[in-house]
Parts: sequence; C-alpha cells; structure tokens
Amino acid sequence: MSIQYWRIRDRYYRLIGSRCAECGAEFFPPLYRCRKCGSESIKDKEMPRTGKIMTYTHLHEPLPGFEAQAPLYLAVVKLDNGAKVLTQIVDSPDEAVKTGARVRATIRRALVDGDSGQIVYGFKFVVVN
Amino acid sequence: MPRSKVYVKSVGMTTVADHWNDSILDLAVEASRGALKGHSKKPDQIIVGNMFSAVGARQEHLGALVATALGLAGIPAFKVEAACSSGGSAFNVGFNLVKWGAIDSALVVGVEKMRDLEPEEVSQALAMAESAEYTQFVGATFAALNGLLARYYMEQLGVTRDELSAIPVIDHANAVAAPHAQFRKAITPEVVSRSSMIADPLRLFDCAPVGDGAAAVLLVNDSAASGTKRKMAEVLGGKISTNDFSIYEREDMLDFKATRLAFKGALQEAGVAPGKLSTLEVHDAFSVVGALSLEAMGYSKRGQGAKDAKAGRYSRGSDLPINTFGGLKARGHPVGATGVYQIAEAYLQLTDQAGKNQVEGAKYAATQNIGGVDTTSAVHVFGRAA
Repeated sequence: MSIQYWRIRDRYYRLIGSRCAECGAEFFPPLYRCRKCGSESIKDKEMPRTGKIMTYTHLHEPLPGFEAQAPLYLAVVKLDNGAKVLTQIVDSPDEAVKTGARVRATIRRALVDGDSGQIVYGFKFVVVN
Repeated sequence: MPRSKVYVKSVGMTTVADHWNDSILDLAVEASRGALKGHSKKPDQIIVGNMFSAVGARQEHLGALVATALGLAGIPAFKVEAACSSGGSAFNVGFNLVKWGAIDSALVVGVEKMRDLEPEEVSQALAMAESAEYTQFVGATFAALNGLLARYYMEQLGVTRDELSAIPVIDHANAVAAPHAQFRKAITPEVVSRSSMIADPLRLFDCAPVGDGAAAVLLVNDSAASGTKRKMAEVLGGKISTNDFSIYEREDMLDFKATRLAFKGALQEAGVAPGKLSTLEVHDAFSVVGALSLEAMGYSKRGQGAKDAKAGRYSRGSDLPINTFGGLKARGHPVGATGVYQIAEAYLQLTDQAGKNQVEGAKYAATQNIGGVDTTSAVHVFGRAA
C-alpha cells in the first residue's frame, strides 16, 4: 500500500496544498474546487511551514502501527496562510504543547508499511520558542 | 409527483452486547424476523445498513446474504454504507423508494459485528471513515479527532468538564429500563470525570462503547398497510446532508453543518416545528458530539449544549427528553446498526410501546444519525399514524 503514500509524497514532504486562482484562498489538504468561492481554477501551492496550535490532544491509543510513538500529541495547526493541518507535535516538552503555541513543520519518519517494511516519511510539527 | 404516505409498521432488535455466539448474519436475521413477524406478505426490497462487515466479519454482499437467509431470494437487496450513519442512510433509501412509489414495502436492517475484532482493529476499522492520507496517516483515531474537537469546544466557549459529562449521565439514566441497552446502569458525573483518559480531554465515559447488534424496521405505504390493526408510526420527513469531510477542512469546526442542514430539511418536509418534538434521538458517539448536535439543531445556543444538558433541559420529564433508551453511550453503538435502533426507538415511543421509558403522549419524534465527525448526517422525523 506504500504507493498510496508515494503518490502524494510532495504533499507530505513539502506541504503542497492548493491555492484558488480566483479568490486567493489557500487550503491543505489540496482540493478540486475552492471552498470559499467555488472556483475550479486551483493550483498547487507550497504552504507556509509555520503556524499556531488551534487545539490539541494527548492520545494514549493511536492507530495500529503507531504504538511505538504512543502516547502522542496530535494538533490542528492553523498555518500562517489560514489553512489548517492535522499533525503530530513532536520533540516538544509537554508544557510547551498548548493552544496558541507557535509551531513549525519538520520531516519525520511517519510510519512503516506493514507489508513491505518500507519507511514512509511525512510532516510533523515542533513547538518553537 | 404524487407521494405515498410511509409508515414504520413493525420493528425488531437484538440486544446490543457481546454476541460471541452469533455471526453478523445471525444478528441480521434475528432483528429482521422480529420486524417481519406476523406479516404474510414479503417485503418488496431489503436494504442493509452496515459500515465495516468486510473488516469486522470478512463478509460483503450483505443484501443477498440476508435475503437468502430469510427465504426471500428473488427480491432486490443491497447494502448502504455511510460510516456510522449507514443505518440512517439505508433507512433514507427505503423511505424514498416507498414514498415515491417505486415499491410498496421495504425491510431496512442495520447490523454491525464489532466484538470479533481486537480493540485496535476496531479503531482501525472506524478510522476508515476518515481520510486515509491525511487523518489515518498521522495515527489519529476517531477518539483523537473528537478529543481535538472537545478541547476546542471547551476552550473557545468556556465549557467545563462537568457540563460535558451531563449527556453521558442522561444516557445511562435512560438505559436502566431499556431491555435492549448494552449498559443498564446509572452513573454520576464523577464516574465520567474519573474514568480513564482516552484522548485528552475525552475520557472513557465520554465515548460510546463497542458492541454487536442489529435492528430492523418494516416500511410500508398505504396499500401495504391497509387492513392492519397494528399501531404504526408515520415517517413524515427525512434528509441526509454532508459537511466538509474532516474537521480540519472546515471554516468553523464547531458548526455541525451536516446536522444543521439535515435537521432543517427533514423538519421542513415533515411540516413540524422544532418546538413540537416530544423526543429526540441524538447521535452522541462522544459527549462533545451530542452537545454540538443539540446546538446545530437549534435547541441550544452556541456553547450552551452541554450546559443545557447539565441544567436538565434534555432529561426525562423535560420538554425535550433525548435518547430515551440510552443513546449511543448506554444503549450502545454497533455503528452501522445505530441509525436503525434510533428509528425503532422512535417507533416504540410513538406507538406507546416504550414501557417504563414511555414519553407520555409522545406525538412527534426525530432521529439524528451521524457518520464521521458530523461528516454525514441523516435526520428523520416521525409522527403517530392517523
């Protein structure tokens, strides 16, 4: 199943989302039609790599395949362009993970594919001081 | 275009439980036989509501499987899937087919087999209702998404832990006298706030349990109902709506748009004002989802859903008692069956068969069945058959 992730590796590595050519709104994950103005003139656009935690959770039992990372922090991050991203928060002290904290994107090992053992990389975010 | 009146003529249910000795087919057949008991005429069609039989029971093609087991092979039969709103969505298909005259009757059966799986396999199966590439990819379970939502709800709108506990408390109180409920035991808010942490701030008792179960209803039009002496409930309106797929794709994460639109549309079709409902089945898969649903349906103002529940506005004896058989938290949530359980419960209320749970003189009832985090919402409105 790794091909499912390989296909969109640019989305994971470089946070490639969408920009509406009509109204300028930006989105992540990418979409086919602008949710703000309805335009279908959508172009790929690299997202800013910094933003703020809107909300977070400390998850004790993540999905199978993520046990070694548990418990882990998940957050909805509002990027500086207004797009929202669901992400893990890593390499940050517990007391730093809070609503409103500034974060930046980094590349980390995301998961190991169950069948092939292939390592899949993706974005995670860290709290910046 | 002429539309037929549509009635729920009869219902059948299994208990929601760990049915170690029953297969997914056993459960579907038991509920279906309950709904078909005493009917000489076979239904024109079977529609099965189910979310993840491929994962939970290595079984697809449920329509023909159930039809064959009931001795009804020959009639059209298929499965409808819309995550946890599979049951409500299957019912909506049956309702529309009968309403617009394509068929005279339909058996809608919701079924889910969850307990054959290990807990982490259940999490995985449920997570398939979310984006494989952007939600499952980061390890997020459904509990995690609802934990994110619960924190946002509490921090942005000033909702407290005890307020959030109110809906699970209502559910458990109502399930005590519900013969088919999974957990027939009353709880206090402290039971919720001291239960183990699942996805901070959500704890075990904020979350609906895992269980097996099936519920079935027989839908008929006027001609198929003629001559019956049974008490029936009339299906007055129904609508399914969708929200932007995942919470992080939504302009306002606290606006349950799917529920808001479906509820408005279903009531409009029914010609029933919101204040006229006698009882309401709310899809509270998580405490926060119950609160936000009540806000989306307009019964509570923004930020007031959990507070109103704590103040007693949705308890038995109030103007709008919710989840009179325990809701998702205490009746249980065999995901693809839940929407049909809700409808069977609305039927019991409107035909005065709710026993100790009866809302006296119940005139109108509605059911709200969500898939995902308000990603799909199926709402139906019922009245007493004239």
